[in-house]
Amino acid sequence: MSTGLLKNVWLVLSKEITDALRDRRTLLRLMIPAVLMGPLLLLAVSALISSIEERADRREVLVVGIEHAPSLRNFLERQTFTIKPAPADYEVKLRNSTLLEPVVVISQHFERELVEGERPIIEIVSDSANQRASSGVRPLQRLLEGFNNERASITMALRGISTGLLRPVAFEERDLASVQARAARITAIIPMFIIMAVLYGALTSALDSTAGERERGSLEPLLMNPVQHIALVIGKWGAVAVLGMVVAALASISFIPAQWFLKNDSLQAMFQFGSWELVAFLLLQLPLAGGVGAVLMALAIQSKTYKEAQASSTLVITFVGLAPMVTLLNPGGDAPWYLWVPGLSQNTLMLLVLKGEPLTLANTGPSVLVGMLLVVGCLAYVARQMRMAVAR
Amino acid sequence: MIAIDHVSKQFTIRSGSSLIKRGKSQIIHAVQGVSMHAPNGRITGLLGPNGAGKTTTLRMLSGLFEPDAGSIKVDEIAVATHPRQALARMGVLGDAHGLYPRLSARENIIYFGRLQGMEVDAANQRAEYLARLLDMKSILDRRTEGFSQGERMKTALARALVHDPANIVLDEPTNGLDVLATRSLREALRHLRSPEGGGKCIVFSTHIMPEVEQLCEYVVVVAQGRSVAQGTVEELLTQAGESKFEDAFVRLAFGHAETGVAT
Repeated sequence: MSTGLLKNVWLVLSKEITDALRDRRTLLRLMIPAVLMGPLLLLAVSALISSIEERADRREVLVVGIEHAPSLRNFLERQTFTIKPAPADYEVKLRNSTLLEPVVVISQHFERELVEGERPIIEIVSDSANQRASSGVRPLQRLLEGFNNERASITMALRGISTGLLRPVAFEERDLASVQARAARITAIIPMFIIMAVLYGALTSALDSTAGERERGSLEPLLMNPVQHIALVIGKWGAVAVLGMVVAALASISFIPAQWFLKNDSLQAMFQFGSWELVAFLLLQLPLAGGVGAVLMALAIQSKTYKEAQASSTLVITFVGLAPMVTLLNPGGDAPWYLWVPGLSQNTLMLLVLKGEPLTLANTGPSVLVGMLLVVGCLAYVARQMRMAVAR
Repeated sequence: MIAIDHVSKQFTIRSGSSLIKRGKSQIIHAVQGVSMHAPNGRITGLLGPNGAGKTTTLRMLSGLFEPDAGSIKVDEIAVATHPRQALARMGVLGDAHGLYPRLSARENIIYFGRLQGMEVDAANQRAEYLARLLDMKSILDRRTEGFSQGERMKTALARALVHDPANIVLDEPTNGLDVLATRSLREALRHLRSPEGGGKCIVFSTHIMPEVEQLCEYVVVVAQGRSVAQGTVEELLTQAGESKFEDAFVRLAFGHAETGVAT
């Protein structure tokens, strides 16, 4: 690369960045959501977790017809649970999500059937579309299971049979996930916002420096300077990538103060976002910012107006922005091809960082390679198209 | 010095395309044999009706696309083979002359000066000089957003002239300018053509007769993609046998086309 080319690239790059930074209104509109997104998201997640934990701490059960089951009442009270009568219209309330707890329904002849060994039925009523209520079903099941066990043990003990016969095998759980990996289940949505930040940061400047330049009639005079077209293109692309990275950096940095405001102690202990995570996040975005910036420019240079360019960029933004959904819909089932798809690969790698797992050449290589190929291919195309765009 | 010899250019356009059907492609002969020689120290007018091929010719001159046939040389440098060297010797104010709205007039001018290979200080000094020449000192440090048509034109002209080119090419520069602005532009061009202003080679395209009569020492009449007549205003009057320049132009531009004879 000759020094003249480098000098021109630098000239164009610095002009484009100055130009973009002076567009205060657009910048603010980009940055405010990028900066607020992290804190708001974390607050929402921590509030959700707190309310779940709070429910566990409250030790309350909603029951219909507890008067038919004195033995169950006795058991529940011994477990230090408070029994509360369920509202009469609990079915309606569960369905429209105004009631957030499952309800235990006891049949009229519960006590008699229990004594006669007729296996009375206890209903646990919830609505699987009502997530908060249905998440309370399993703890409730476990509680009632305890009642079953107690009854069975007493009966067997009275007949002189060891209760161990009922459980020939004992289970013990061992969780291999690190603390961070457990938190990553909750924070899995964060990388998606970082990817969005890159896209939005790159979008405006990619369109403005190509289709916008053409629309306001400044592309033609620009091409009448004795400058290599590839220098113009690289300079513009550099500015696009830098702006994408700046917005991504703001979005990532915002998670650091955000974790101070986490209401929930256990989440605060689990979610660790320090300088290493920040640096890793940003490094992982580089191929994305470069690659997507180049693709957006290639699409936009064909459009006569900014508006037309926006329409054609929608597909790229949607595709890359929603790629992380693949991981969300299929958690843990990471396939090797994930690492080759822009957006999806960044998401997968950022999740690894959040889980505290190492980044290797093998898992970061594909996204870097894809990014570089996109940059080289698209920039060559833009350089060729720029002159034709003016001629049209 | 600019020498354009028998250039021609055709475009293929597709019209009437819609979502389900591709339109018919059509070949347009935008330029078919335009020649023009513009020596230094002279203002050469390129006169022709709308759609005659003036802008296409000037765009080929500034290297935006190559002619299908013919040659274009700027100070003996062929534009087709050495576009960058040729562009360094030209200041072009084209059909499109958009500015960067978030940069000041001065920054717009300096940016192009830098792209022409000038140092910041030199470009800045040129910006000051051109601001005096074009009477735009008061707007030099304002952002170009919200400039009037005349202010925008002056800034674009200063931007094109920042590297003090020996050859100045202007495509319909007076479009949309009021009397005062047109007059000051005319003054500036006369100065640039004169020995004190550097004896520049100026090529000026327009479709406005009085402008040509007042400013151009030599006129090339272009019609339907061809150069149909050339000479000084007096010579063209004699050639057409008319006493008014407008009548002479109509006869030369359209009379010729009707008989189908090309020079």
